[in-house]
Amino acid sequence: MAAATAARSGTARGSPMRTFAAVVREAYASAKSQPVASALTMLMVAGMIVTVMLTTGRAVAAEQSVLSSIDSAGTRSIVVRADDGAGVTSDVLDRIAGVEGIEWAAAFSSAIDATNTLVPDGTRVPVRFAYGTSLDRLGIPSASPLPGALAYASHEALEKLGLPEAVGGITLTTGADFAVAGIITTPEFLASFEPVTLVPQPDATGDEVVNVVVVIAARPDLVSPVADATLSVLAADDPTKVTVQTSEALAQLRALIQGQLGSFSRGLVLVVLTITGTLVAIILYGLVMMRRRDFGRRRALGATRGLIIGLLLTQTALLAVGGAVLGTLIGTIGLAATGDPLPGLLFVMATGILAVATAIAAAIVPALTASRREPISELRVP
Amino acid sequence: MLAAAVDGGSTVAVHPCVPVLEARDVTFGYAPGTPVLDRWSAAFPAGSATALTGPSGRGKSTLLYLLGLMLHPRSGEILVDGTPVAALRDAARARLRADLFGFVFQDAALDQTRTVLDNVTETALYRGASRPQAREAALGLLERFGVDVPPHRKPGQVSGGQAQRIALCRALLNAPRVLLADEPTGNLDPVTSELVVGALREHAATGAAVVIVTHSPDVAAACDREIRL
Repeated sequence: MAAATAARSGTARGSPMRTFAAVVREAYASAKSQPVASALTMLMVAGMIVTVMLTTGRAVAAEQSVLSSIDSAGTRSIVVRADDGAGVTSDVLDRIAGVEGIEWAAAFSSAIDATNTLVPDGTRVPVRFAYGTSLDRLGIPSASPLPGALAYASHEALEKLGLPEAVGGITLTTGADFAVAGIITTPEFLASFEPVTLVPQPDATGDEVVNVVVVIAARPDLVSPVADATLSVLAADDPTKVTVQTSEALAQLRALIQGQLGSFSRGLVLVVLTITGTLVAIILYGLVMMRRRDFGRRRALGATRGLIIGLLLTQTALLAVGGAVLGTLIGTIGLAATGDPLPGLLFVMATGILAVATAIAAAIVPALTASRREPISELRVP
Repeated sequence: MLAAAVDGGSTVAVHPCVPVLEARDVTFGYAPGTPVLDRWSAAFPAGSATALTGPSGRGKSTLLYLLGLMLHPRSGEILVDGTPVAALRDAARARLRADLFGFVFQDAALDQTRTVLDNVTETALYRGASRPQAREAALGLLERFGVDVPPHRKPGQVSGGQAQRIALCRALLNAPRVLLADEPTGNLDPVTSELVVGALREHAATGAAVVIVTHSPDVAAACDREIRL
């Protein structure tokens, strides 16, 4: 008997995957069959994304641009100047290497004038010996065929020397000759050296006197502690001849800008999310009220409350994802059309996820309401 | 079968003498002190079609919804295959409805936004049944009951008689052990009424318990027995 009835009714329940697929299919079909409500929900979510992208997104992009500018190495640089007699030598770099929070460090000798070897009366440019193991950051090859005998110059220096192609030689006022081997791009933190010509000294003994030590902190907030640490390991014979130049004020400005823009952006997103969530909830609640007879029928025919909740939440999620994609496209096109910077993939993805989550959260109360429709009150014909 | 439906586990043997559906001392009322049903009992054996008749307001539809596990009796018990089910949790009762019950409502109660085929196969989702198999069975039922409209048409585009046939197809899709019908011929022409009642009787003949709420003496006469409320 039981076997017979089982065969008759074919009640074997599907696997969770099949059930999930069936729920998604049914949710999609339901959304398609209610085009007005579905379009409204999608437009709400799309509108939210567009609003966030054109307001907060624009602010975030500007913030990222400002912060990126502030975060440049120049902002994080610490320049220690040691006058003659200060007694700072190139082995300071070994001690600085033990300090945490440092991205890059190099030391430079005092400047010695040099001219084009072929034009002894030509324009003089300052030449400095450079010490450090990461001079490749300046465009100097890490391995040199003639260690200590090659010079690298900036475009400005090469122009003054009359060597625009970086081919030739220079002669220092001390009489030493060096072959010019390449061009360096002067970083922001060495702008004061221009016109800059450097002679890397890979085989330095550590006793060479240096006049300038440049340290780049890993982060803007580390500028102050790294400057203190650098001074503590300087080992100057006469500390009164040492001066330190940092951009600590810029680091403070960065924190201020980040805090203010971040707070404004968060507040705006919260307002937009609340408005969108409320509107989506109203639309879905209205939809549930209009279709309460359908939910009553579903309950009568065997839909569990959980299934009805799942159906409505899935339907909302599908529409929200569609709206998020649509909104992202419109927002991106809008920002591109006005020439504003784009806020970045992470921001766009986070906004999309937040929008979908808001829509789903807004659908919970309507879904609960739908799941509690009583078949008898919805289906009885008076 | 009932155990399988409730627990999703193995089937249990059911004694052939046990009625498929039974109401035992059922009391129910919408307001305290005014019971619509008071210690009401009846058994609905397999293979029988029972007509519930009586004047309006006597609780026929209420009784049908109680038997269909959509309402909780104040006291008493509803038994399916001899197993008390009234106190089951809502989800378990919903699964029983999906697995063992079929319903035909007075006005068909079709989803106007979905196709005829979607309406007939609706319960497959609640049972977790295979969709292709359900579609195939649905097409067979639509043909059997002469629903000569394209299955992708919306219910709003078919006549009342066709709509009730579609509702009948939906109710029969899972070959239910219990088929409950609330005024299934209330708005139908005589030919369609005869077809619907004939189908309900045919289904009873397969071993199901069929309960029909009706005001029609003809429908009542076509059933195996009549219970007046």
